[in-house]
Amino acid sequence: MHIPDAFMPIWQGAIYWIIALVFIMLALRWAKNQLTEEKIPVVAVLAAAVFALMSFNLPVSMGTSGHLIGGALVAIVLGSPFAAVFILTLVLIVQGVLFGDGGITTMGANIINMGVIGGFVGYYSFHGFMRVTKNISFSAGPAAWLACFIPAEVCAVEMYFAGTFPLREGLIAMGLYHALIGIIEAVITVLVIHLILRVRPDLIDEKVRQLQAKGVNG
Amino acid sequence: MDQKNLKFLVIGVLLALVVAIVAVFLASPNPDGLDSTALIASGQKTLTAPATGENISVEAPGHFTYASPMPDYSLGGKWGPMGGIIAMVTGTILVFAIVIGLAWLLKKRKMSKKQIS
Repeated sequence: MHIPDAFMPIWQGAIYWIIALVFIMLALRWAKNQLTEEKIPVVAVLAAAVFALMSFNLPVSMGTSGHLIGGALVAIVLGSPFAAVFILTLVLIVQGVLFGDGGITTMGANIINMGVIGGFVGYYSFHGFMRVTKNISFSAGPAAWLACFIPAEVCAVEMYFAGTFPLREGLIAMGLYHALIGIIEAVITVLVIHLILRVRPDLIDEKVRQLQAKGVNG
Repeated sequence: MDQKNLKFLVIGVLLALVVAIVAVFLASPNPDGLDSTALIASGQKTLTAPATGENISVEAPGHFTYASPMPDYSLGGKWGPMGGIIAMVTGTILVFAIVIGLAWLLKKRKMSKKQIS
């Protein structure tokens, strides 16, 4: 759901950029305080993986493809929505500047949608679901789905304000396609979390490990 | 960095590179969710059927244009899949390097601040 420059007037892009910059500043502060020597390689590896997965378009039928976002994954594993803002911002800068995937003036909106909304929805819905289900898979899966679906619907509204999509059709199409893409997002998110839990459980956010130690099932 | 972290780092980056290279060959050529919706908005696609045209014609008034050096993760037709591999590997390693570099810079700034106070 990378918005290209052509889909948005410059002045609207500027508004999203200003909002995005506030979150980028907070994400930089998170990185400064949280990134220990132990965590830097994990963050860098996750960022490289998010870039590769985001650029990999998977077919979702109806003549449409979709790719992973990874906002929920990063926020859950690193234990903060700002981790998603930090990583997604850097990935989106490289994708936009080097590969024209997402525009320059629209980058603020893309950072808000995928990094900020994706990260916050993914992180808080995961911990909400954990309280109810006490199961990592049943919590991370739906959280990842929501972290794909909600940014897509927000994007449809932004496209309506930009005068690019009609509101109703935009919401229906963006919602339908990303409901399907979200299923892939959910499956991969759960798989990667289990992979890290198996090989390097010490790298997963402490809060998740404590929940697991309390008898939460995988 | 200890042995365990180095191992995670090397295997992690290699996995990311494998995904990046496989993507060049297996990625779907269909438009993504946003582009599909744009094609619907311009009447070139219905909700559930594939698009009939490829050129997205929706445009916002007063928008910005920018030409990226490697559009669509490729180096253009004459390079073929090799161009795609170069683009994806460059992107993956660049993201990795930027994150390492920025994290290191932030940490260094924090350390020097601590020394002053």
